[in-house]
Amino acid sequence: MFDLPADQPFTAVIADRHTDGWYATRRQTVVFLDRDGAGYRALSAQCTHLGCRVSWEAARKEYVCPCHGGVYARDGRVVSGPPPAPLVRVPVRVNPQTADLEVEV
Amino acid sequence: VRRLAAWLDERAGIRMLRRHLLDEPLPAGTGWLFTLGSVILFGLAVQTITGIALALYYAPTPDHAWDSVRFITTGVRGGAFLRGLHHWGASIIVVAVVLHLVRVVFQASFRTPRELTWLAGLLLLLIVLAFGLTGYLLPWDQRAYWATVVTINIAQLTPVIGDAMAAVLRGGPGIGALTLTRWYAAHVLVLPAALAALVGVHLYLMRHHGITGPVRPRPGPSRSFYPFQAARDLAMSGVIALVWIALASLAPPSLEPPADPTASDYVPRPEWYFLGLFQLLKFFPGRWEVIGAIVLPGVAFTWLALLPWIDRGGSRDWRTRRLALSGFVAFGLGAVALTVAGALDRPARATEEWTIQEQAGTVLIAGDACVRCHAPGRVAPPIEPGRIGRPADWLAMHVEDPTALALGLREAPPGNQHDRAAIVAALARLRAGRPPPLDAAASQIAVLFSRHCLRCHKMDRVGGSEGPDLTHAGRNGDAAQIERRIADPPSVDPNAEMPAFGDKLTVEEIRVLAAWLAWKR
Repeated sequence: MFDLPADQPFTAVIADRHTDGWYATRRQTVVFLDRDGAGYRALSAQCTHLGCRVSWEAARKEYVCPCHGGVYARDGRVVSGPPPAPLVRVPVRVNPQTADLEVEV
Repeated sequence: VRRLAAWLDERAGIRMLRRHLLDEPLPAGTGWLFTLGSVILFGLAVQTITGIALALYYAPTPDHAWDSVRFITTGVRGGAFLRGLHHWGASIIVVAVVLHLVRVVFQASFRTPRELTWLAGLLLLLIVLAFGLTGYLLPWDQRAYWATVVTINIAQLTPVIGDAMAAVLRGGPGIGALTLTRWYAAHVLVLPAALAALVGVHLYLMRHHGITGPVRPRPGPSRSFYPFQAARDLAMSGVIALVWIALASLAPPSLEPPADPTASDYVPRPEWYFLGLFQLLKFFPGRWEVIGAIVLPGVAFTWLALLPWIDRGGSRDWRTRRLALSGFVAFGLGAVALTVAGALDRPARATEEWTIQEQAGTVLIAGDACVRCHAPGRVAPPIEPGRIGRPADWLAMHVEDPTALALGLREAPPGNQHDRAAIVAALARLRAGRPPPLDAAASQIAVLFSRHCLRCHKMDRVGGSEGPDLTHAGRNGDAAQIERRIADPPSVDPNAEMPAFGDKLTVEEIRVLAAWLAWKR
């Protein structure tokens, strides 16, 4: 079992090779990994309002966007503020061979 | 000189040009209110010159943009002042353009036959704002990056053509190298060309119709532009120049940490002249967001554009035009209120104090382990606040095992996991700014506490939860009692689970820790 903390989502930075015209770089994407019943849930850190980076606020147990004040629950639902949709769920699965958690960004 | 002038006049008609420029007839009573156009022209000229000077040094690529701007501010003689002028120029021009617009609206200077002058002026306002927006992407710092993310997402909300607009603005699959070159091209090629053309049209139309002059025509013959109005224009531009120089030298623009899509400690805020729009976006939840982002600004702008047709006929005196003007005043007050609300709305996170762990990290970074490689002239660059471009996960790996990422250079410095955690925490914080100054005693306490206590105890929200929170340790005992508790816990509380530190720390170390904890009330 992939070891995730139970009391809060795990903020993972996923790096992949990214080509942008002539410029190749190591792109980094933030996803929140969390337990979801017996399985896992991965949420994109991009606010669905205008794309700022939301972060987990441990004190209020919610995701908060620093730009226009969007608030999401731990499962990604919109709690308040301007976001038009829940945080986007990123496909995640456990690789049966390696037992690694694999995220598709 | 006279012969040269005659020669030039014969071939280029310079005397006629001079007469045309200086002898513009102005209605009697034209005064200071009519200097704003000249101030804007003066501002645009300074922006052109400082912009060319900045372009000599600037490199529009994600790898180099931030470094080149940093070089301009620290490595080029007068570079910080130059950048200050260009930065503040944007604000000064926005203010002057808005005041010019207010003057024109209150005096109804847009009325027939000057509708086209008015429309050209409104387009110029949009171009000035577009200059501001494209300009502050260029340093490729955090503010630049997030302002661009939000701008492009707003463009995407536009009905029907939104996706196409966003794709044009972005250039590539995401915001990156191709966005930067695009916005640079817009800022230095497309917008200046559009600006020059529209300024030409605006000035031609202004001369063609003559200026409107005071609302109630004064008796007396018209005067030529030179010398009196020219002197007013010059004096006004001179005052603006002084303010401008003062701003550029006393309040130089900041350069935030390099753009980092993963950073969670950054609170994005736009330049002040976009704060109103920024604040407006907060009031429209869910699928109404297009109203705040596109519809309301669009309606307001369309109303402004149609003013010459809405507010026509009758006297130019404001007292007879209450309806049109109250609409304009309401719009203006709304914009001011939103801007103020946007400026006041700063999440508390941005100003948090440095935690004890972060403080310990800065002390450790300045110590031997890091400095033996990271110093001027050594294998790695010095570690400087605001100059850390590596992502957090890279830093964590590097601190864990420096040789894994810098192969074959040195063996990893000794250190325990608590010190490494402190260093990683401090590096994350150092991206954004300077640490607070710490004297020798405070440095020692920070490192001791971070190394030995944080695993089980919390202090200012960080740390483990096995032991009690020590943020207010001084409320539960004096220094002597705390000292005994650290050295030999059962001597104070027979049931204590805390291990004794009497053999791990020196007597002196325990004494300073206890004195400090007793002071935390």
